[in-house]
Amino acid sequence: MNEHCPAKSRMLTRRSALALCGGAAVSLALSPSRAPAQEGFKFGLTPVFLSSDLELLAVLRTYLTEAIGEPVELVSRRTYQEITALLVAGQLHAAWICGYPFVQFKAELDLVATPSWHGKPLYQSYLIAAAGRPAERWEDLRGDIHAFSDPDSNSGYLVTRALLAENGLKPEGFFARSFYTYGHRNVIRAVASGLAQSGSVDGYVWEVMRELEPELVGQTRIVRHSEWLGFPPVASPKALAGDPRIVRLKDALTGMDRHDQGRKVLALLRIDGFVAAEPALFDTIAAKVDVVRRFG
Amino acid sequence: MRFLRRGRAIPVSYRVPILVALLMVAISAVISERVLDRLSRTQESFLDGLAGSYLDGLTAAVLPAVLRGDVWEVFDALDRSQKSYQALSPIEAVVTGEDGRVLAATDPNRIPSFSDLPDAYASRYDASAVTLDRNSDTGFAHRDLVYQGQKVGAIHAAFDASHIFAERREILVTLLVTNGVLAAIFALGGFLLVRRMIEPMRVLEDHMRAAANGIAEPIPSRDFPSRGGEVASLFRGYNALVHAERERANFAMQLAEEEKLASLGRLASGMAHEINNPLGGLFNAIDTLKTHGRTPGVRDTSISLIERGLQGIREVVEAALATYRPERSGRPLSADDLEDVRILMKPELRRRRQRLDWQVDWPAGFVATIPGGPVRQAVLNLLLNASAATPEAGAIGLGIERTPDQLKISVTDEGPGMPRDSIAMLCDDDPGPAVRAGRGLGLWMVRRMVDACGGKATVEAGPSVGSIVTLVLPIREEAQHERSHAA
Repeated sequence: MNEHCPAKSRMLTRRSALALCGGAAVSLALSPSRAPAQEGFKFGLTPVFLSSDLELLAVLRTYLTEAIGEPVELVSRRTYQEITALLVAGQLHAAWICGYPFVQFKAELDLVATPSWHGKPLYQSYLIAAAGRPAERWEDLRGDIHAFSDPDSNSGYLVTRALLAENGLKPEGFFARSFYTYGHRNVIRAVASGLAQSGSVDGYVWEVMRELEPELVGQTRIVRHSEWLGFPPVASPKALAGDPRIVRLKDALTGMDRHDQGRKVLALLRIDGFVAAEPALFDTIAAKVDVVRRFG
Repeated sequence: MRFLRRGRAIPVSYRVPILVALLMVAISAVISERVLDRLSRTQESFLDGLAGSYLDGLTAAVLPAVLRGDVWEVFDALDRSQKSYQALSPIEAVVTGEDGRVLAATDPNRIPSFSDLPDAYASRYDASAVTLDRNSDTGFAHRDLVYQGQKVGAIHAAFDASHIFAERREILVTLLVTNGVLAAIFALGGFLLVRRMIEPMRVLEDHMRAAANGIAEPIPSRDFPSRGGEVASLFRGYNALVHAERERANFAMQLAEEEKLASLGRLASGMAHEINNPLGGLFNAIDTLKTHGRTPGVRDTSISLIERGLQGIREVVEAALATYRPERSGRPLSADDLEDVRILMKPELRRRRQRLDWQVDWPAGFVATIPGGPVRQAVLNLLLNASAATPEAGAIGLGIERTPDQLKISVTDEGPGMPRDSIAMLCDDDPGPAVRAGRGLGLWMVRRMVDACGGKATVEAGPSVGSIVTLVLPIREEAQHERSHAA
């Protein structure tokens, strides 16, 4: 099994590094090497925005456990890559991932549901800078120390990368330095504290954070909105296509707004609900992948 | 030295409390210095430990991120550590990478990532684990990040040390206030204690001073300390002294009285003789008058004889009255007093067939404010002594000279010279021993008169034989005015 999982060895090194860091990541999962069938339903979460909100995690787990009819384990990792690798390897039954990895592993993944925000399954990527900075256009951010969210994030990396590629630029040439914070909230913190002069962040996270932590978000401002793109979806491995639990999961997600516990989850996530979307929703993201691939 | 002399001039009841207070200040200064020194060492070792554990925790948190050059992880670890080490109050932490450049600082706006570490950071540490900067109330510490024996970076930390200095200041103030209050209490206690201790001495001193002014009173029993002891025995000793002195004074007074009576007796017999002498002539004159009273010549002569005889008797009686009537002793010295002396000396001189060399410069109307009674008595005593010392048929002398501010009385004799004790009684500053020898009460009265007038007595040998006793009595200023007025 390990031969099929080249990502796993990398992941383990990262894990040991994480352990050294003294618990930088919140891990609710048991060891990923165990078979999913023996441990109930495993649902992966990427650090979208509230992955550290214990209340949300508890409510979500209760809701899903009830809906699927067996114990649900929520699995969090530090990076998108780890969750994507686990999902593609079949170690997770389903996961809330980003549009970018979904496009990358389209052949191996099925779309389960997509969140709907302001009535649409769409969101934007923002280029942000410190609130007091007079930058008006994204070109003004040249020479910055730039904070990306995650190399596998659409809004936190790919959109900016594609924007630069469209203009014949590369991040290392346009920005003086860049680094990854592995979390959209961290991008906002990095820009707010001055560690980075600009950042690429999920627009949905930024907007919701503006409600939850106005003081922090108030220290940043948007320099550029991207076009509307497919909202990070919930996906499952193609291998589990016939699994009734995936069907129940899909029903549970799309019917979330009809249950009390579900509405509680939606309220905490600040989204309208989940909708069954077509993979074509992510074609714009796929186009960006193409641009990057072509222009470097 | 001047300071020491001045210090000695301060009364003991103030000097001891001041010394106690100074001692307390000195002790408190030493204690404060020790306490503060100990405190600063304790604080520093506490701070070293705290900073050490802070840096240990930070090292564990950032080392993997530093190895990866992960700016965000380093920043995140620093950011969280600032909140979790409240006891140390971290102000700032900077993590540098292998190349010495900043990976992340707690305040990236001040020290941006990827920049060079400011030079000031390298030079702000000394040999100790934590360097304290008093000016900015800040502590500095640094730690190299070592992985597999290689330096991969460093942590530079600054933290707020103001509470440490504040604590020192607070303890210093507490020490100063406490020691100040203690010093004040001890000084006050010392003052009261010393006052209480020397109170009996003060009583003794007051009595001694009064005694020196002539009013020696025993210390009343209510002033005696209730518990006895040294002071009580000192008081008893003083009281015994006062009683002895009083007895001696009474005895002396008694002796003086007796001496007076004795000399009165001598004078009375002289006077009786003086009166008796003319009495025979008077009776003879009366007989002559009875027989030949009709004869005018005889009658006139007899009456004249009787008159002169009676006059002589009256002079003797008047002189005696003037000498021994106490109410007259307070009036000023006048020519009459000297004349009385002369009359009173007459019988003794006649008995011993001696001559009185009288050289008195005293105008009839002149009055000196020197008290007449005691001077007359003194001159009489000296002349009687001179007469007793001079052989029969010899000569004694009285000389009185006046200058504007003093009266000089000198009495000469032809005796064998005055005994040493007598001279001491007249002339010594402390006539006590001579008086206690019990000699010459007449001379003692002379001495007392001279002392009372503020004068001086001298005794010297005569030109060929005998002695000259000279009394110099000052005439006070108002007396001089009176004299000029009288003149």
